[in-house]
Amino acid sequence: MRSSSLLALFAVGATSIYAAILPKIDLPKDSPVAVIGADYGDSTETPRGSAVMVDLHASLSLRNSSGRHIRGITLLVRSQEVTPGSKGSVTLTSLDVAPGETFPVRMDVRLLRPGTSSGGPLQLGLDGVLFDDLSFYGPDNLQSRHALTVYEIEARRDRRYFKALLAEGGPPRLQQEVLASLGRQVDRPDMEVQMIRAGRATNLEPERPVQFALLHLPDSPVEPTEGMAKIAGNEARTPRLEVRNKSDRAVRYLEIGWLVKDGHGRQFMAGTVPATLNLAPGEKAQVLKETTLKFPQLGGGQPSSIDSMTAFVSNVEFSDGKMWVPSRADLVDPRLQSVLAPSPEEQRLVQLYRKKGLAALVDELKKF
Amino acid sequence: MKHPAQDQLALFAGGELGWFESWSIRRHLVACPACRKQAADFSQDRRTIRNLSAELPSDIQWDRLADEMAGNIRVGLAAGEAISAFDPPSDAAYARPRWFRWHAGWAIAAASAVFAAAFWLNLPGPQAEHLLTALRAIRVERVGKLVQSSEATTDEVMVEASRASIQVRENGGSLALLHPRSDGLTISVNMQGSAGARYIDSDTGQVTINRVYYAQQ
Repeated sequence: MRSSSLLALFAVGATSIYAAILPKIDLPKDSPVAVIGADYGDSTETPRGSAVMVDLHASLSLRNSSGRHIRGITLLVRSQEVTPGSKGSVTLTSLDVAPGETFPVRMDVRLLRPGTSSGGPLQLGLDGVLFDDLSFYGPDNLQSRHALTVYEIEARRDRRYFKALLAEGGPPRLQQEVLASLGRQVDRPDMEVQMIRAGRATNLEPERPVQFALLHLPDSPVEPTEGMAKIAGNEARTPRLEVRNKSDRAVRYLEIGWLVKDGHGRQFMAGTVPATLNLAPGEKAQVLKETTLKFPQLGGGQPSSIDSMTAFVSNVEFSDGKMWVPSRADLVDPRLQSVLAPSPEEQRLVQLYRKKGLAALVDELKKF
Repeated sequence: MKHPAQDQLALFAGGELGWFESWSIRRHLVACPACRKQAADFSQDRRTIRNLSAELPSDIQWDRLADEMAGNIRVGLAAGEAISAFDPPSDAAYARPRWFRWHAGWAIAAASAVFAAAFWLNLPGPQAEHLLTALRAIRVERVGKLVQSSEATTDEVMVEASRASIQVRENGGSLALLHPRSDGLTISVNMQGSAGARYIDSDTGQVTINRVYYAQQ
């Protein structure tokens, strides 16, 4: 690893407090991206009682120094001194960065450090880069390869879908679908959530086991067969799900989407339950997570705030590295459509329509 | 059944009661749905108020408050040291039988222990935390750098995702990623121990996904 710290670059003119909070950027020697500039704007370090709060506002400029188009990138953010084991990441997806082109990466990080010592700087590193041929570069400590590949496959699916609509009914048909997507995004409920250690319930309501309703997507190579979680008021803990591989290929990783409905009939996406496994064709496996999810805004803490739950397989990685994601036809299921967030690419295209209009969207689709 | 007073319930909901009173009210709530609802309502009100005032006023003098508290304790310790520097009065002046001094010492020690235990058990959570923090600061000053042990945070929350930020907590510190210029925010949680926020950066138009990961994954 070559240290390409920008500290020296920005030491001139920076105050001593400012210099102390500048991040240290480490990129591998053969990294496909290079840092060509950085701006830390109004980053500050402020004492807060017996702690120190660091607010870092970074705007990096990266150049694609590889020979291929970049589709996605994940940068690792960590602070060995404050949260030695925990870390953060910033991912950009739905990119199309040609060789030699530059692109911005912005991040706003807040560190709360106990004690009054200034501690060490924040460390920024590279976890992975995905190229247009779906090849990947990077240490992949955060499973970026899987996530970036899923985003890219979803992006291709959704561009294909929009292009098909354009071919079938022209710009008006495309506009109709984009407006429908926009409406769903506005209506989709979002819930604040906390994850609590070791599956411990923290509220007063009695705990009760609740079975998952299982949603079978017709195309899915893996199906959920049974599932249960323990519910206490606005907390759901220790989900246990059984899945069966109904395909003719071995599966090594999958993610199960978890929908929750509250006492008022509002349904929302609670989270995903991932599983790394080796599931041969026809085999069953059980996925168990010893964690509690708490929804602080839900039902004001009254009993039976969580009413029912639904599970579905949201993506699958086969042992040969190929991925499966739900088709557009799968996503039309009304139980999913109103709850699931659009893919990052659909979100980007809809935003492009909002900001620049239909013609810009049509031009964008023609690029691919 | 004797119900707790409204103010007791409100203090309980805010975690402001001492250990024994909290335990007693928690026992009552198990059997009393009306009080349980009332406590839940207080909790909800508290959350609502906390959300509304998520940003504390900028004019709070945190430094001054912390300095005052640490200063008071420091003065107490200094006073103790100053008093102990004086020569003790001669035994002749206070001639007491040896057995009496011995028993008096035990009695004072026992009374101090009872007082300390009662004080600690009845000290509301936030104040106890504050006191500990001030004592730690003094220890750091006197014996050097404090090595934090792995301690659980309030409610043992590992990761938290809200519309303002996603955050991971560890050893009393926290790492948060904020999304101040976001359009179309989507929050997600992975049961492996991570939380994410996806949005379109309103300046660059890029799809950005921030994620924090808890240490144990």
